[in-house]
Amino acid sequence: MALRLWKKSVKMILREKRTFTIFCGMYTVLIFSTSASLEMSLNPVTASIGSGFFMISLLLSLFSSILYSWLIVARKRRTWATLKCIGYTNANISSIVLGQIIFTTLMGFFINVELLFHWAAAITYYKMAVPDVNINTTLVGLSPVIVTSIVFLIVQILGFLLLRGKITKVRPMIALKRIGE
Amino acid sequence: MPIPKDVMIEAMDVNKEYRRAGAIIRALVDINLTIKSGDFVVIQGPTGCGKSTLLNVLSGLDIPDSGKIIFDGENIARAPEDRLSKIRRQKIGFVFQEFNLIESLTAQENVEALLWPTVLSNKEVENRAIAALRDVNMLERKDHFPVEMSGGEKQRIGLARAIIHRPRVLLADEPTGNLDPEAEKDVMDLLKDINKTQDTTVLVVTHREKLASYATMVVKMDRGQVISAK
Repeated sequence: MALRLWKKSVKMILREKRTFTIFCGMYTVLIFSTSASLEMSLNPVTASIGSGFFMISLLLSLFSSILYSWLIVARKRRTWATLKCIGYTNANISSIVLGQIIFTTLMGFFINVELLFHWAAAITYYKMAVPDVNINTTLVGLSPVIVTSIVFLIVQILGFLLLRGKITKVRPMIALKRIGE
Repeated sequence: MPIPKDVMIEAMDVNKEYRRAGAIIRALVDINLTIKSGDFVVIQGPTGCGKSTLLNVLSGLDIPDSGKIIFDGENIARAPEDRLSKIRRQKIGFVFQEFNLIESLTAQENVEALLWPTVLSNKEVENRAIAALRDVNMLERKDHFPVEMSGGEKQRIGLARAIIHRPRVLLADEPTGNLDPEAEKDVMDLLKDINKTQDTTVLVVTHREKLASYATMVVKMDRGQVISAK
């Protein structure tokens, strides 16, 4: 049941192309910059600047996750009210919203992994063609990306929890009102 | 006092007040109303007379300040929210004036949505949605999105969504408020058909006098009171 709601929530968010593309892009950039700064903070030479960037990226991630949750919850009050009218519980609606948020973050992670693999492949090929060139094959290690993505997921869930009360407060009667009333 | 078996909804001494801009508005005043199973009830009255509030209270969307609402033998006036959600999902179908379809879902998905949080299999959900779409003559539009449909077609999809779970009661708040006369007749004929063939109790709130011709019972309201029910 919950799995079906999650699948449907993914379908719904994929069809909202503009919102999905914007936030997926934001998460991709944020996951990349946070991973890069995490890797820098682990290097003794760049540790101080790296940890600074890491904190900034995390704060930006928290801000964007709250913004994204707010957009999903607040802009669709009528949809949630309609679903409540037809028998959805607050938990059912929370499943849909959380599914959309988590899916967008996971897409950001997969795009990062895909880009990093492509970078590594392209540089490896280039190095074989031009042996003297000195470019890092690995742009950012996979471990920082995985760690960052897990941290991002936790932050996303925190952002959702902060706004979950808004779902509970949506009264089903809103669905019966005329638009603009 | 036991409630007769064929009574679907019974309102007993129901009162409801609202506070708006410091003033108290008595939306429902000592409402007593009995709706039998299989009735087609049209609730009429001028704007602000309390007919929508009555519909909200009868369906458990709103809580009365006092009185009882016996819905299919159960007092729902003080029922917890989760119980009300379950009653709505199992026993009530809603038809909205503004259709309230989800824009990112196709017609079939909009109809199926009601059954997603249930234990029914995907195949069963799909079969039921197709049957409901066939009932409202919209099967050929199952893959279309709401933005591609007219008001009358959207309302038919709304009706299919409302009947997919074979509800005991169908509640419609101004279901033809946004439709032209032809689409209005279509939707009302469909409601009547569902009432007859599926033995579903239908409650329609409307300010249009002529829709009373579909009713087996017309409830007239004014200033929060039922002035006649026959």
